[in-house]
Amino acid sequence: MLIAGAGIVGASIAWHLAEAGLRVAVADATGPAAAASGASDGAVSVASKKPGVMARLATGSLLYTRALAERGLLAAAYAARPSYVFGAGEAEMDAIAALIAKLAALSGPVRVTADGGAGLLAGAGPGVERLVALEGEGHMPGHKAVRAYLAHPGITALWPARLGAFEADDTGVTIDLGGRALRVGVLVAALGVSTAEIFPGLPVLPRAGQLIVTDAGPVGALPGSLTAAAYLLAKTEGPGSGTLPPVVIDPLSTGQFLIGSSREDHADPTRVDFATIRRLLGRSTAAFPALAERRVIRAFAGIRAAVADGLPIVGPLPGNSRVILATGFEGDGICLSALIGREVAAMVRGASPATDWAADLSALAPTRFGAIRKERVA
Amino acid sequence: MTDARILVVGAGLAGLAAAAALARAGHRVLVVDQALRPGGAVHRQPLPGGRSLASSAQARRWRALMAEVDAQGARIEIVCNTRFGGVDHTGTVLLTGEGAALINPRALVLAVGAREAVQPRPGWTLPGVTTAGALQTQIKTTAEAPAGRVLLAGSGPLLLALGAELVRLGRPPLAIVEAGRPFSRPLRSLGLPLSYMAEAARHLSRLLAARVPLLTGAHLTRISEADGALMAEVETRSGARRFAADRIGLHDGIRTNDTGLTDCAALPVLRLGDCREALGANAALADGRAGGEALAARLAGQPAPTASTTLAREASAQARLAQIYAHDGATRLAGLPDDTVICRCEMRTLADLRTLGPAPTTRQLRLDGRFGMGACQGRFCAEWVARIASPIAPHALGMPRWPARPISVADLLAAPDLTLGETK
Amino acid sequence: MNGTLLWNGTALPFRAGETVASALTRAGVRHFGTTPQGQARALFCGIGQCQNCLVHDGTGLTEACLLPCRDGMALTDAGARHD
Repeated sequence: MLIAGAGIVGASIAWHLAEAGLRVAVADATGPAAAASGASDGAVSVASKKPGVMARLATGSLLYTRALAERGLLAAAYAARPSYVFGAGEAEMDAIAALIAKLAALSGPVRVTADGGAGLLAGAGPGVERLVALEGEGHMPGHKAVRAYLAHPGITALWPARLGAFEADDTGVTIDLGGRALRVGVLVAALGVSTAEIFPGLPVLPRAGQLIVTDAGPVGALPGSLTAAAYLLAKTEGPGSGTLPPVVIDPLSTGQFLIGSSREDHADPTRVDFATIRRLLGRSTAAFPALAERRVIRAFAGIRAAVADGLPIVGPLPGNSRVILATGFEGDGICLSALIGREVAAMVRGASPATDWAADLSALAPTRFGAIRKERVA
Repeated sequence: MTDARILVVGAGLAGLAAAAALARAGHRVLVVDQALRPGGAVHRQPLPGGRSLASSAQARRWRALMAEVDAQGARIEIVCNTRFGGVDHTGTVLLTGEGAALINPRALVLAVGAREAVQPRPGWTLPGVTTAGALQTQIKTTAEAPAGRVLLAGSGPLLLALGAELVRLGRPPLAIVEAGRPFSRPLRSLGLPLSYMAEAARHLSRLLAARVPLLTGAHLTRISEADGALMAEVETRSGARRFAADRIGLHDGIRTNDTGLTDCAALPVLRLGDCREALGANAALADGRAGGEALAARLAGQPAPTASTTLAREASAQARLAQIYAHDGATRLAGLPDDTVICRCEMRTLADLRTLGPAPTTRQLRLDGRFGMGACQGRFCAEWVARIASPIAPHALGMPRWPARPISVADLLAAPDLTLGETK
Repeated sequence: MNGTLLWNGTALPFRAGETVASALTRAGVRHFGTTPQGQARALFCGIGQCQNCLVHDGTGLTEACLLPCRDGMALTDAGARHD
C-alpha cells in the first residue's frame, strides 16, 4: 500500500492499515503535516460543519477521535475543551439559531451549555452580542495527530518524494515516486492541495486563509475557541456570504493565540495583507479585548484544499478500484480524519463501509464528477 | 492616493546615503529609524548634550553625510522612534511608533544594517550576558563604561574595538576571549587595507598598555551565576581559566539582518548596506549611495550607473579578515551539553532538538521541535539549529514572512490608514 | 530633559533621550522579568531583535531597548503579571 500525502488524512489511513497488519508506506513531497494539517487551528468542531452529511460524519469522527485519545493513540494530540460561538447583527443571530437547531437535530456529543450575552465568558468584550457555549468538542493540532499516527512501527516513511504519474491495472498500481518506479497493490491519494497536480480533472482548488499567531501569555486566558458566527456562515454558505469578519480565536497550549481566517482563492502561503489582518484583529479584539495587549509574531496563509461543491472527495477513482482518493477537506480534515482513516482503510481492504456511514460516504464518492482525467505515465 | 514618497528604512550610513542620492534625483524621501536618533549602529549618537566617543575620521564621515542630507532640505524627512512592520503583497507598508501609518510608498529601500551572531553556550541566557554590540550601543550613547567587571568573548575584530573603548573609558575588560588566532600568522594581515591595520594597531596598543589578557584560540564554554556574579569558564590553549564578571559581552560575527524582509511584486524593493551583505561601514556608505542612484535611474527608466569599486575592495578585506579570524568554533556546537538552550525565546534545548531524530525536515523542526517559532522569529537560533540538525547541508529554517518584527495588536490596529482611496 | 520613571513602583532617574533599557541598566537593574516559558527577561541584543528585554508599559509589552524614557512613565516587570 502506498499513501501519497502525509497530512492528517493520509496519516490516519496509514495508521488504520498498519493496525490491520498491512505493510504501508507514506510518501510526501515535503514531509509530515507540510500543508493544511500543519497550518490548521486544530479545531475538532462539529459546530462549524455544514448540516447534513458533513455534520453527521463530523459527529461520528469526534466520538471516534475521543475513543482514540482514550486508547492512548491520540492522548497527547487531542484535548477536550469548551467552545464558544458569538455573533452580532441579524445574519449572525440567524446563524446562531441555525447552529442550535443543527446540534439539537444531531442529538450528538456536542451540546449547548449556555446561551446568553458576553457575561457568559470571562473576558468577552463589547463585540459579543450573543454567545453560546458548547461542550463536547476538542482541540487537536494537526501536526501532533500526524506524528502520533505515523509513529506506528508498521509504517515506512518516504520523504521527500513527489508522486508523479501512475498506471493502474487489475493486479496493482505502478507509480513514479520522485523518479523511482514503485509497484503497489493500492494507491491512496490523500494529496490535499496537491490533488490537482495529479488529477487535473478534479475540481480541487487551493483556498487560503490568513492566520495570525501571537506571542505567548498566561495559559488559560480563554478556555476554548471563540468563533464568530460569520465563520460558520462562510463555511456553510461559501466565502463572502457575510459582511462581518469571519474570525476564530484559538487559544493554543503554549499560551499563544492563533487567529483566523479569511477564505481566498490562491495557494501562496506568504500572501497576507494588512487590510485583512486588521479586519480580523479588529473584530477579535472587540470580542476578546485582552488580545490588544498581545503581539503578533507571525502571519501567514494556510492553504486548504477546497472542492467546488463544498464536499470532500473520498472513494475509488471511477473505473479504477486500486486508486482511492481522500482529499478536499478544506480544513475539516482535522475533525474528519479519524473516521475517514478508518473507513478508507476498510475500502482499501475491500471491506464494505460501516453501515452507519455508507450513505454519507457515498455522497463523497468521486463518481459524482463523472469520468476523471488523470496524468499518464510519460 | 499613493504616497509618492520613497520609503527608506534605516537612518544609518546606507539608508541616508541612499536617501540623499534619491533626493538629488528629485525624489521625496521618508526615512524612518527605530532608534531615537539617526546614526545606525556605527554612528550611534550620544545622548543630547553628551560627549561623542567617535574618532575624528568617524565624526568627519558622519558630518559629511548629514550635510548631504541637509542640503536636500524638505525633500528628505527623517522620522525616528518608528518601526518598520513589513510590506504586504499589495505594496502597503506598516509603520508603528512615532510615525505610525499604513502607506503605499513609491519604492522601498531596506537599509536595516547587520545583526550579531552569538553562538549558544550554557548560561548565555542569564541576565548580564548580552551581545557585545549591546555593550557598544550603551557606551556610544552614554559615553560611559558599564558598571562592574566586563568580560568579552567570541570572535571577531569588534571584540578588540570594544575592549579598547573600555580601556579608553578607564574600565579595561577582564579579558578578551577570542576563538580565533588572529595574531598567529601576521603575514596574513598584509593584504588588509591600511586603515584596517592602523585601527587594529590602535586598539591593540591600548589593550596591551592596559595589560588586558588577549586569550586567543580560547573559548568561553559555560556561564553560571554565583554570589551575584557571572562565573565564566574559559578553555584556553594553556588550560582552563575562570573569571567572575558582572557583564559578559558575546559576539560571534556579523550577519545580514534580513529576517522577515519579504520582497514585493507591487513596488521596487531594494536592500542596501549591511542588510544586503555585511561588509562594514565603508561599504554601507558606498552601497547606499550607489543603490540610491541605481533606484533613481530605474524609476526614470534610465540605464543603471556603473557599480562602485568600493564594494569589491571591502568585500575582499572582509574575506581576508574572516580568514584571519577563522576557527572551528561551530564544530563545538555538537559537543554542547544536552541542556544547553538553543532557542532563547522558548527555552528549547539541544536535547529537544536531538529527540527529533537524525534528519528532521524544516516542518518537523518548527512544528514538532518549535525551533525558530519564538518571538525573535529565529534570528538567534535558526543558524545553529540548521547546523546541528543537518551539519552537512544546513537548510533555512523557514521562509521570510511578515511581520518583520513582533507588533502589538493595539499598534497594528491604531496605525492610521494613509492608503485610503487607493483601489487595490 | 532628564526625569524619573517608575520601575515596579521605584523611582529611577533617566537622562534626556535615553531608552528604558539604558536607564534600567545604569540603575543596576538587570532582570526585567520572566517569560511565560520561564526565561529571564533581560537586555541582550540592544537593538530590538531578540525580544528578550520586553517590559510592560501599562498598555502592553514592548522592547525596553527601543522605548524612549518619558518623565513619570510607569513600567513593570513583565513576568510579575504572569506569576
